[in-house]
Amino acid sequence: MIQQRRLTPAAMVAVLFALFWVLVTALPFFFMFMTSFKTQPELFQSGSVFALPDALYFGNYIEILTGRFFMYLRNSIIVCSLAVVVLLIISSMASYVFSRLKFRMNAVLFSVVIACMAIPIHATLIPVFILTRDIGLYDQPLALVGPYIAFNIPVSVFVLTGFMKTIPVELEESAEIDGASKVRTFLSIIMPLAIPGLATLAIYNGINMWNEFIYALVLTSSVQSRTLPLAIWEYQGQYGVNIPMVMTILALSVMPMIIAFLILQERLIKGMMVGAVKG
Amino acid sequence: MKTRVFCVMCLILALLVPSIAFAGGAAEDETTMTMWHIQTQERIVDIIEGSLERFSADNPEYRVEQVPMQNDPYKTTLIISMGADEMPDMFIHWTGGPMISYIEEGALYDLTELMEADGYKDQFLDAAIEQVTYEDSLWAVPVENVTPAFFFYNEELFDEYGLDVPETFEEFEAVSEVFMENDIIPVALANRTKWTGSIFYAYVLNRVAGAEAFADAYDGNRSFEDEDFLKAASIVQDWANRGFFGRDFNALDYDAGQDRQLLYNDNAAMYVMGSWFIFTALGESPDYMDKVGIAEFPVYEGGKGKPTDFIGTVGDNFFSISSSSENPEMAFEAITYLLDDIAVEERKAAGKIPPLKNMTFEDETDAMIYQQVEEATHIQLWLDQYLPPEEAELHKDESQRLFGGSITPEEYNRRMQEGIHGR
Amino acid sequence: MIGGKSTTLDARRKHSTATIAAVFLLPVAFFLFVYLFRSIFHMFQLSGYSWSGISRTRDFIGWGNWQRLLNDQNFFNAIGNNLIMVFACLAIQIPVGLLLAYIVDWANRRFKSLKLVYFLPLLMSAVAIGFLFKQLYDARFGLIGVMLGWFMDIPFNVLSNEQTALWAVIAVICWQFIPFYMLYFFAGLTTIPEELYEASIIDGAKRHQYIFRVSLPLISGVIKNASILCLVGSLKYFDLIYVMTEGGPAGATELMATYMYKTAFTQMRMGYGATVSSGMFIIITIISLATFKIMSMNFRRGGKIT
Repeated sequence: MIQQRRLTPAAMVAVLFALFWVLVTALPFFFMFMTSFKTQPELFQSGSVFALPDALYFGNYIEILTGRFFMYLRNSIIVCSLAVVVLLIISSMASYVFSRLKFRMNAVLFSVVIACMAIPIHATLIPVFILTRDIGLYDQPLALVGPYIAFNIPVSVFVLTGFMKTIPVELEESAEIDGASKVRTFLSIIMPLAIPGLATLAIYNGINMWNEFIYALVLTSSVQSRTLPLAIWEYQGQYGVNIPMVMTILALSVMPMIIAFLILQERLIKGMMVGAVKG
Repeated sequence: MKTRVFCVMCLILALLVPSIAFAGGAAEDETTMTMWHIQTQERIVDIIEGSLERFSADNPEYRVEQVPMQNDPYKTTLIISMGADEMPDMFIHWTGGPMISYIEEGALYDLTELMEADGYKDQFLDAAIEQVTYEDSLWAVPVENVTPAFFFYNEELFDEYGLDVPETFEEFEAVSEVFMENDIIPVALANRTKWTGSIFYAYVLNRVAGAEAFADAYDGNRSFEDEDFLKAASIVQDWANRGFFGRDFNALDYDAGQDRQLLYNDNAAMYVMGSWFIFTALGESPDYMDKVGIAEFPVYEGGKGKPTDFIGTVGDNFFSISSSSENPEMAFEAITYLLDDIAVEERKAAGKIPPLKNMTFEDETDAMIYQQVEEATHIQLWLDQYLPPEEAELHKDESQRLFGGSITPEEYNRRMQEGIHGR
Repeated sequence: MIGGKSTTLDARRKHSTATIAAVFLLPVAFFLFVYLFRSIFHMFQLSGYSWSGISRTRDFIGWGNWQRLLNDQNFFNAIGNNLIMVFACLAIQIPVGLLLAYIVDWANRRFKSLKLVYFLPLLMSAVAIGFLFKQLYDARFGLIGVMLGWFMDIPFNVLSNEQTALWAVIAVICWQFIPFYMLYFFAGLTTIPEELYEASIIDGAKRHQYIFRVSLPLISGVIKNASILCLVGSLKYFDLIYVMTEGGPAGATELMATYMYKTAFTQMRMGYGATVSSGMFIIITIISLATFKIMSMNFRRGGKIT
């Protein structure tokens, strides 16, 4: 990118805003981490919840990591990765149809998918619970995969269709002339170019599923089936909450997502279109 | 060819995924029963596990799996499970209105026979048995904790300003004025959570109108709009308006500890809360425990309530057996182990007060609380648990408005009357 | 000869198109049917009953619940709050998201970690954010609460005031979701080839001219999609409101979703709760489809090439 030396007033404002926003986003996070290094009495007695800890207390982390944390983590990872992968595959397939293939029902079906975005999730709890129980998946972590996929399909299809529409038709036509089938075109041309959209959705859906609470609550019962969001309970008693512990769990459960984000966001690179046009 | 394979694979994957299940695995000869409760702290979970293991040792063909959940999600799960008819063998509730609705829907197993057998029920405190009784039958076992609400105060602050603990409403008002002049909030209250304010209101109502007042009004034997009720609601609103609870109490969250924060930092002087507060404070701020005093809620001169009337629960969590359980008698047997001799000692050591008669406590405070409960003239269950769910929500919402001043005391009582009897 | 062959080819192509379309749509259709359509059906069916949620029996009351809904002040109050949220979120999240996307784009080479930092709010769960901001808003101990107190005479907790509570929560919701829009817009920006920027600079355009005349129009599709997502999301929203205010004080922050949850689960009026969610579903569907239609029409009328 060509660097411009002079900063216009507008650019100055932008820079200031950028810095301001760094504070706004980073401070709360910093607070969360800071609290995880305190003991509970320290939290309430030091005059302010926001005071820096006197010393870094690692006891919370030790207690959590030697507890059932990895079991919950394992459940969360299995459920979320499976759900995200399947979701992206089937959503891309459906988006391809909506964005490309012309047939009569296209617009109607697309509207139906959009309408599915309107369903309030709590209304689906009882029917899905009964269904899950009837097919014998109650109290299994895998029971969560189905709902997680289903509830994120509308948004994923909506976003991916939008992205796929921006891919020039010429690319497909040239492939078709070369004799490629629709499916081949889908796999070799469309999918690679949809990667920014896929990456965005992988991140967004992944996070939603990682933090998802109400279905994890309803479809599991025993402790071994639980996912991370329910892990916080061990530190929430009937009448009091061990806040530093809760912050520790939250800090730990955020880690995998940060790692996943760092990996995935490499895919959001400008210029993916360039090679395709030229080639 | 490749693409077709790909398509088929995708389809199979998408269709099969919901039907894959983890390998389960319980021993074949054993019958497993499930027990749902809300004691999530590790120490209590361990005590319960111990009880259940002793049960299994004595009854090798049976095993109980305990499932601890957090309070609010537990309520949601319970409703969904009841609606889908997928109930665990044993589960807890808080008696009161909800228990009655479970009974009327036929969800609970009648425990009268099992409780009467061998006089099992006689070891429990009378007040506890009263709470599990409905229409002459017994429906639950009181287990967890005896927790009346007390009037806590900061001894240091009182000494600093040369004040005595208030014993009457008048003294309370005087003391509060002094604190306010010195920029201290008289009473810490986190009323976004609503049931906290309800406790305070319940006490004021009791002191003015007498022990049976709320129950009578609920049953229809008196009206929510009569003089005493009006007086109680007016007093509460008057105190709130005068700033006795601070200014933003309706936004403070109990679960985030915002009321306790005020206490620990000497920003508030008094607190009305269930006796579990002692437990909580020990974990959050041991320093505070050194300067806190425990008293009874002040009396209203000329009122019908006595200082020995309490608001609280005698049992806290009560275990019931679902009517759909396949092994109700064994389930009951398992429950009895929750309060066997070993468990009772362990619970006392953990700071709990089991709802049994003739208990002795090493800890002074526990002993005092127990004595108060034994000698109590009346214990009114928390209003939001006493009422059935819909009315409980109404009461909580309206009392929050009463504290906040957005409705008049007359309007508050009218809405209670209409909501409970008018519909 | 040739004519004959191409007819068959054409027909075969159309046929294979239809087959492929069906096959490609099948998995999505499966999941939607099993988990969503059945639920919608169940929801509408349940709205005709009066049911406590735990009772073995349900009473069929036909349109009774619906009549009550149409007269329910609380429900209309909730709709009002939802609409306020829609406008506020659209006005805040989209522009700020755009701004941040451009900032990140501009700074990407040198400050790669900026994306991560801006992204953090999206990672936190509602529970964590709720606790955090409740403390921040605390009039006595919280950073924001104390600062607001400087403008008022008395400690002022913005969550306890009926006028300000909704806005206070909206601010937090925006804080949480702006990163998503930043990411979404940034992904949109990556589809614009760099040569375009270089070419326009050569043609003498300044950066802001490039942004407003070239870049924005090219991602206008993404912006419109994002707006729809924002719209629907605001109409459906539940999490943070429930955690921070539970719809209070006195219904000032009640949304359709929280109202539905309370009716169905807290008050144990499942039938009426199902009615509320059915009503919610109808409202959201109509508004979003209408908006989508309007946006697509404008698009075509503008004559821009997709």
